[in-house]
Amino acid sequence: MDSLDNTSWDVIITGTGLPQSLLALSLSRSGKQILHIDRNDYYGGDEAALALSEAEQWVKKHGGDASENADSAYSHATISLSDAQEEGAKKLGFSRAYSLALAPHLVYARSNLLPAVVSSRTHSQLEFQAIGSWFTVTAPLDGLPSWSRLTRVPSGREDVFRDDSLDLRSKRSLMKFLRFVASYDEESEQQRMVELKGLPLSVALKQHFGLKSAAAVGPLLALALPTVSEIETTMEFAVPRIARHLRSIGMFGPGFSAVLPKWGGLAEIAQVACRACAVGGGVYVLGQGIKNAIRAEDAEDSKLRLELTGGEEVTARWLVGCPRDLPATISKPIPNQADPAEDIMKSISIVSSPLTSLFPPTAEGGVIPAGAVVWVEVAGSSSPSVRILVHSSESGECPAGQCVLYASLRGDPSYLDTAVQNLLESMGEQPKPEVLWQMQYQHHAEAEQPQNTTSSGHVFTLQPLSTGIVLEDDVLKDVEEAWRKIMGNGAEGFMKFESREGVDEDE
Amino acid sequence: MQSHGIPRVAATTLDKSEQARNKERKQITQYQALEKDVVDRAELDAQVKAKDYSDATFRLTSQLLTQNPEYYTIWNYRRLILQHVFARELAADEAPSEQDAAAADKAGLPPAQHEVLLLIKEDLQFLIPLLKQYPKCYWIWNHRSWLLGTATKHLPAHSAVTLWHAELGLVSKMLGLDSRNFHGWGYRREVVLAIERLSSNGDGEKESGSGNMVESEFAYTTKMIQSNLSNFSAWHYRSQLIPRLLSSRNADTKTRQEFLDAEFELITRALYTDPYDQSLWFYHQYLMATLSPANKQAEPVLEPCGRAEQARYLEREIGSVREMLEGAEDCKYIYQALLEYSGRYLEVEAEGEKVTLEEMRGWLRELRGIDPLREGRWRDLERKMGL
Repeated sequence: MDSLDNTSWDVIITGTGLPQSLLALSLSRSGKQILHIDRNDYYGGDEAALALSEAEQWVKKHGGDASENADSAYSHATISLSDAQEEGAKKLGFSRAYSLALAPHLVYARSNLLPAVVSSRTHSQLEFQAIGSWFTVTAPLDGLPSWSRLTRVPSGREDVFRDDSLDLRSKRSLMKFLRFVASYDEESEQQRMVELKGLPLSVALKQHFGLKSAAAVGPLLALALPTVSEIETTMEFAVPRIARHLRSIGMFGPGFSAVLPKWGGLAEIAQVACRACAVGGGVYVLGQGIKNAIRAEDAEDSKLRLELTGGEEVTARWLVGCPRDLPATISKPIPNQADPAEDIMKSISIVSSPLTSLFPPTAEGGVIPAGAVVWVEVAGSSSPSVRILVHSSESGECPAGQCVLYASLRGDPSYLDTAVQNLLESMGEQPKPEVLWQMQYQHHAEAEQPQNTTSSGHVFTLQPLSTGIVLEDDVLKDVEEAWRKIMGNGAEGFMKFESREGVDEDE
Repeated sequence: MQSHGIPRVAATTLDKSEQARNKERKQITQYQALEKDVVDRAELDAQVKAKDYSDATFRLTSQLLTQNPEYYTIWNYRRLILQHVFARELAADEAPSEQDAAAADKAGLPPAQHEVLLLIKEDLQFLIPLLKQYPKCYWIWNHRSWLLGTATKHLPAHSAVTLWHAELGLVSKMLGLDSRNFHGWGYRREVVLAIERLSSNGDGEKESGSGNMVESEFAYTTKMIQSNLSNFSAWHYRSQLIPRLLSSRNADTKTRQEFLDAEFELITRALYTDPYDQSLWFYHQYLMATLSPANKQAEPVLEPCGRAEQARYLEREIGSVREMLEGAEDCKYIYQALLEYSGRYLEVEAEGEKVTLEEMRGWLRELRGIDPLREGRWRDLERKMGL
């Protein structure tokens, strides 16, 4: 390959995380000369999916504390393996049988990403699978044997009808609440929402919807997926999220509200997006980052002059990347670090059982889901709960007969393992499923980035994905803003392409 | 992403301009098809009038029907042709080919009938994609029914019943796709009846024979209701099955009462979940109607069923429905139910502690407030009930 030295580009994109890759996709038919680099030697950046050996390397690299990993969103990475196995016991498959997602996300059926995937003609290269059921695991009660209880979250009228744990009054009250949530942003309910929004969800349920039973709160929290404790979760937070869930059910098929991309989640979308840009003429180079901006603007041709980590000098009309991929000389230094209390503790566990009871069919004759969501209480209602995304081997992330558990928590990292163990215990399987392999790490929240303002404004900073587990619409909106800046304000047809000739059409 | 079992992302998410263009394309194709239709139709008319029941004519009907299955005249033509072919096969005195004879032998049928069976099966196959595309087209269901009827007429029971069982599978699948398709439910009843009739071997002992499907059909309605409460057809079918179910179980007085109580428990649970669903109220009304000896539409469930039982259940249900008001004060169906049952109660028992005219006037007032559009109806009700 020719050297990059002294090459000139319309757009240089740094980092192949999801936002940057989506931008590359959006520009793939623009005819612009695009150089897309990533300082890692793999695609996906912070959203990468890793084989086992790659995960081990990644953990080594991100093992230190935050200060040692200043240019990364991750730190404190560790791995633990289960003790030596007996003969014939379950064991790990080979490294490439796994595709572990660093940042697994739920993609709601209503998400703006999915129509964009279709209109940009990349949907035929992606497989989306259902995330079917949601569950709660309640901590063992004092005085009772330590069985955690696994309960399915009712997601609609028929679920509520069938749920034996709800008495008649609770059914009525829960339905009343769900009906309110379904239309919370309509004129008829706006006034009510204004009155209720500051209240904790649990309080509003009791006082305004007649839902006295504490056991009914957990399932609703599970649908909202807050990072804070029960008492800190307000109606303002919970209602729109529960509404999003309810409004997404049935969009792609009965009985489920969200999907996950097969073969490694968002990393797969990033890869497909980059591939599309490459087909459109984009040049891809891994193992390179932006070291420095040599001169912010050259008076003559108003281009940016940049030095890559390999020493090459390149020029570009536009530079786009997430803050951590842009050198400090370009992006404004972050005035204040994000609050470390906002950091999320994460773990990835490979489990020795298919956990089949977490994946019932979504409806009569419906699809078998590949994902499930479990909300695990660990230390009572004044402590945040652990969110666990469970992916079966159908997701392509692990071999058959195993599952991957992605746990996240804002709080004490030791609770992650407790939650995983509680979940496995509550399955009631004999023998109890084992964790074969586990990695833990911390994900740092990003401080709100002020939109970059260099003298010419030809550097655009994309917001990195949040530390959450739901893909928000903001991500694509941010990408669109960058696209519009680069293409000019009058540009139309964001992510809308005709199919290329010779490429198989879906319909 | 055509693979089975994986959700399709495409259909609902195309942007508007694409959708508009596709719609236009469809309209153009349909118009062109219609034009062609007219030309072919004229040809077909001529052939049928001339009693040209040839294969070419048959193929012409297939062509036309694939484009427009609502054209019922063409279905009639098709049946004329098939009838002719069946008659010819059954009357045939020429020996069948060796192949045909062997196949017929294997199926346990004389060759002529086997031929008819094959033709019927072929036509049933032809219908499947049409049914999938037009699940609410009367004529497709009708033709299927005719084919099955013909099979029953000409073929021995064991062959026909196999076909009917396949129909049961098909209709279950169709109802799985659209649980509220009343064509499907009607057809299902027809299928069940046919299977029972053919399986009873005409011995009249239907109820206890192996052909009795009432238990499995009752379980089917339970399943359908659980997957979608708002299923008028499922609830209706359930109500149709109950009398036979109870007699098939040889239910005595106690069993019957337990059964009725269980049904009330089920519908009450559903009503608490969603009192705004009209189909649930219809079923509640049905259960209440079984208590009225005067009501010819609803066979009594209880045995005996006299004034005492009626009063007792009316009292209980009025109480139960009254409780449902809490938290659903804007639900007009609750007030309607209360008024109706109170009216009935006052015919059976004198006014007293259980329900007062004052209370009823209150309910009527609420009803008027919630549904002012039907003022005329409420005024009528007021007059009829003497409030």
